[in-house]
Amino acid sequence: MIKITNLEKYYETEEVQTIALNKLSFEVKEGEFAAIMGPSGCGKSTLLNILGLLDDPDGGSYLFNGIEVAGYNESKRAQLRKHNIGFVFQSFNLIDELTVFENVELPLIYTGVKPAERKERVHEVLEKMQIMHRRKHFPQQLSGGQQQRVAVARAVVNKPKLILADEPTGNLDSTNGNEVMDLLTELNEAGTTIIMVTHSEHDAKFSHRIIRMLDGQKVTENILV
Amino acid sequence: MIRNYFKIAFRNILKNKGIYSINIIGLSFGLATCLLILLFILDESSYDKFNQKADDIVRVVFKANVGGEQISEAVVMPPVAQTLESEFPEVIDAVRLRKMNDPKFTYNNKHFRDFEFAYIDSGFLEVFDFDIIKGDSANPLENPNSIIISQDQANLYFGTEDPIGKNLSFEEGDKQFTVTAVFQEISKKSHFEFDVFASMNGYEYANSTSWVNSDFHTYLLLKDGSKYKELEAKLPTIINKYMGPQIREALGVSYSKFKDENEVGLFLQPLTAIHLNPGFVSSGDLKPGMDVKYLYIFGAVALFMLLIACINFMNLATAAASKRAKEVGIRKALGSKQNQLIKQFLIESFIATIIAVVLAGLLVFLFLPTFNQLAGKAFEIKDLLQFSIVILTLILIFIVTVLAGGYPAFYLSSIQPILVLKSKFTTSGKSNLRNGLVIFQFVISAGLILAIIIVYQQLAFIQNKDLGYNKDHILVIRDAQLIGEQRQSFINQVLEDPKVKSITNSSFLPAGETDVSMSGVLLGDEYQRRMFIYNVDEYYIPTLKLKLLEGRNFSKEFGAEQDKVIINETASKSLGFYEDPIGKTFTQDTNEGGQLLTVIGVVKDFHFKSLHRKIEPLILKHNPYGGVIIRTNTADVSSLLTSIESKWQKINIKQPFSYTFLNESFDNTYLKEKKMRDILSVFTGLTILVACMGLFGLVTFAAERRVREIGIRKVLGSSVPEIIGLLSKDFIKLILVSFVIAFPLGYFLMEQWLQDFAYRIEINWWVFLFAAFITTLIAFGTIVLKSFKAAIANPVKSLRTE
Repeated sequence: MIKITNLEKYYETEEVQTIALNKLSFEVKEGEFAAIMGPSGCGKSTLLNILGLLDDPDGGSYLFNGIEVAGYNESKRAQLRKHNIGFVFQSFNLIDELTVFENVELPLIYTGVKPAERKERVHEVLEKMQIMHRRKHFPQQLSGGQQQRVAVARAVVNKPKLILADEPTGNLDSTNGNEVMDLLTELNEAGTTIIMVTHSEHDAKFSHRIIRMLDGQKVTENILV
Repeated sequence: MIRNYFKIAFRNILKNKGIYSINIIGLSFGLATCLLILLFILDESSYDKFNQKADDIVRVVFKANVGGEQISEAVVMPPVAQTLESEFPEVIDAVRLRKMNDPKFTYNNKHFRDFEFAYIDSGFLEVFDFDIIKGDSANPLENPNSIIISQDQANLYFGTEDPIGKNLSFEEGDKQFTVTAVFQEISKKSHFEFDVFASMNGYEYANSTSWVNSDFHTYLLLKDGSKYKELEAKLPTIINKYMGPQIREALGVSYSKFKDENEVGLFLQPLTAIHLNPGFVSSGDLKPGMDVKYLYIFGAVALFMLLIACINFMNLATAAASKRAKEVGIRKALGSKQNQLIKQFLIESFIATIIAVVLAGLLVFLFLPTFNQLAGKAFEIKDLLQFSIVILTLILIFIVTVLAGGYPAFYLSSIQPILVLKSKFTTSGKSNLRNGLVIFQFVISAGLILAIIIVYQQLAFIQNKDLGYNKDHILVIRDAQLIGEQRQSFINQVLEDPKVKSITNSSFLPAGETDVSMSGVLLGDEYQRRMFIYNVDEYYIPTLKLKLLEGRNFSKEFGAEQDKVIINETASKSLGFYEDPIGKTFTQDTNEGGQLLTVIGVVKDFHFKSLHRKIEPLILKHNPYGGVIIRTNTADVSSLLTSIESKWQKINIKQPFSYTFLNESFDNTYLKEKKMRDILSVFTGLTILVACMGLFGLVTFAAERRVREIGIRKVLGSSVPEIIGLLSKDFIKLILVSFVIAFPLGYFLMEQWLQDFAYRIEINWWVFLFAAFITTLIAFGTIVLKSFKAAIANPVKSLRTE
């Protein structure tokens, strides 16, 4: 599903050039659950942004479903992104001014789904995440675990092929964290490919494979399953 | 401590360059506008105040409604002055002025024209301030033949010779005047301007006892502290006592019966109010005035602009609160008291205001020439240093500082430090006050846009209105009256030019400088009303392209036609000639008694006065004299002018050739409205610019506040137009609300303005739509300018800061 070869990304400030990704190569197959680990600043988030088509690599190749997307412009990337990829962030990134229902509904609005169908699909996914009773609440009225469940609901409502999770349990206690990891595992078992960035060895054990990074390069790869 | 406040304030201003540039530039526009308009208003409202006795001088005016005709005149009957002075002890002095048109002096075989001449009572020089610089300063106008002349005229007539005792021949030797004194030119800020005054003692008409003809400007000097309104209340008794008997004699009806159907009265007008109440433009005002309404309009525009600039200041400061909140929290945590913070914020707004004042001064300096041109003034920079403007500027600085800095000062300084430090303080987008202020700004902007559209429409309407005559390609040579005997040969010579279509001999014109003549009209013995008289020849109707509806034009075939008239439709109706007016007769009241006139034709009503007034009854009499009116059929006017000028010179009269174009004179009739349109356009543009600067600032903050939301939405697949829509929606809503307030208000005010025109447009629904469209377009453009940048930003950047 995803194949990156010699992927490069630099950040430049006025004085220094930082190499975030240094000729990184790996592959993630469809239906796989991969965890990416490494210390802060090793390039994990940069990698996730590029994989999520939010950012552009400075060099190398990125095949998404066999299509080269490295040179795509913003609008082409956005098109591909909204139909194929769901995001789960550490800080949830829910919109404070919108209710739970409205937050989850957003991706459907942007992909042009009709209102009646939107309602049905949002309800379906909220049921599945067990937060249906909270659908009229605003994010601030929810606990961290509930907020992340909403975020996951939002990530999957469009039935994406790939979910990118950036430290999904980072802001949660262990009980809520485990619940979220169980959700992700369920989704993976249902066929969704998941790539997760994490600091937590515990969370990483839920995946099939751990890719460890340092200074923008892959150092090891442990296959768990 | 104070030094620390200033230091911090300066640093804050430098740090928030963006906001403060918007604030300061907006404020400086507002202040510069205020200063310019203040100059204008002060100038216009200071007319006649240079007279030491200004507060005790009033002018007597005449208002009446006779036979349905509204009469209001700045001149009254000859005996009014003398009568009021002797009847009422509070009148210390009553003096008269009688203006003479087109005067002419001859000295040493040299002819002089183009000066303003009036007879005055000798007391006039004591009631008004005159500066006699040469000759008899005690009572120079005692002798019947004495005149006093201005310094400029003295130089013109006599050069370096001593003017005192010199004799001037008046009107081709009609009279001889002796110069007894020279006066300093009358201030431009007087409601009259004359170059020569002659003694009323030598003017026979001044002794007339007629209470029927009004020709004299009459001024009363009242006892210190007496109220003119009280005197005015006593004036009807005077009308009863003196005018009554004469009305019976003239009209054959008793005064009480006359009064049942008509109104006649004398009224008083304070000297200092004359310039701002020009209600007598075509009936005796000595100089065009400035309607006080326009001063209110300009004042309101200036004030609005300043308010909008202040609102920007308030709005941007509170919108920036989230940025400043942390600073406030830390200061409070460290022990700063609320009033210290208030001082801090006020000093910031004070510094910004001072910078804006300096910039405003610079703007005024740069744009004063443009403004002078626009307003028809000659202000200089030093005029800004007059006491009242300096004081008002200081007051403005204070008000703006408090208004602009006060709200943020109190608002920000009341923030709970614990909330800010825990990052729980958010300035939500739902600030009702801020929304209200944005609505207010756009009420003004949309209202002004609406007003401008209507002003443009009305002026275009006047420009294109079917006037009933054709004003284009008409050349007017009023001076042709001076050629006398040779006029006909001049006309014949000019007619030879193929570029000339027709020529008529008349001094009566529907626009610009014209002779005016009115007479009372009687049907049988019964007085009807006064009507305008045009003295014309048989070429008048074809030359001006008037439309003859019934009957015939004047014609040589019918011999002498002095007792034949052509009347306009209004006159025909007014006289009750509904069916077949041709052949009907009526009587014109003349000095030599009545003259019976027979109607030979009716012309379609044409606008022989400005469109401010309804068309009144008009009588065309065959009595050619005066100037020459030429209809040309060429666009190449300059070669025609050259040819006419050479013919003019061949006739060998000493006057230089001078001419006007009728369409230019017509345009000049609406100069006041055009001036208003231009001034209003410029300041409306600036007001909208300042309002949009504020809007730009607010969008900037909205975009900053919602940067995370925008990022999330983009990650979820939102497009750039969707993000722009998201950011615009809230503001566009406010602007739509502003229309709901602006349009009824604008409609009401513009209806008032349009009342001034007897012929006017109706305000159309699409004008509102157009104004709404323009306002929305400008506002939306401003919003897009900013929100586009926010919309195309890479969401990774905004989300990474988490």
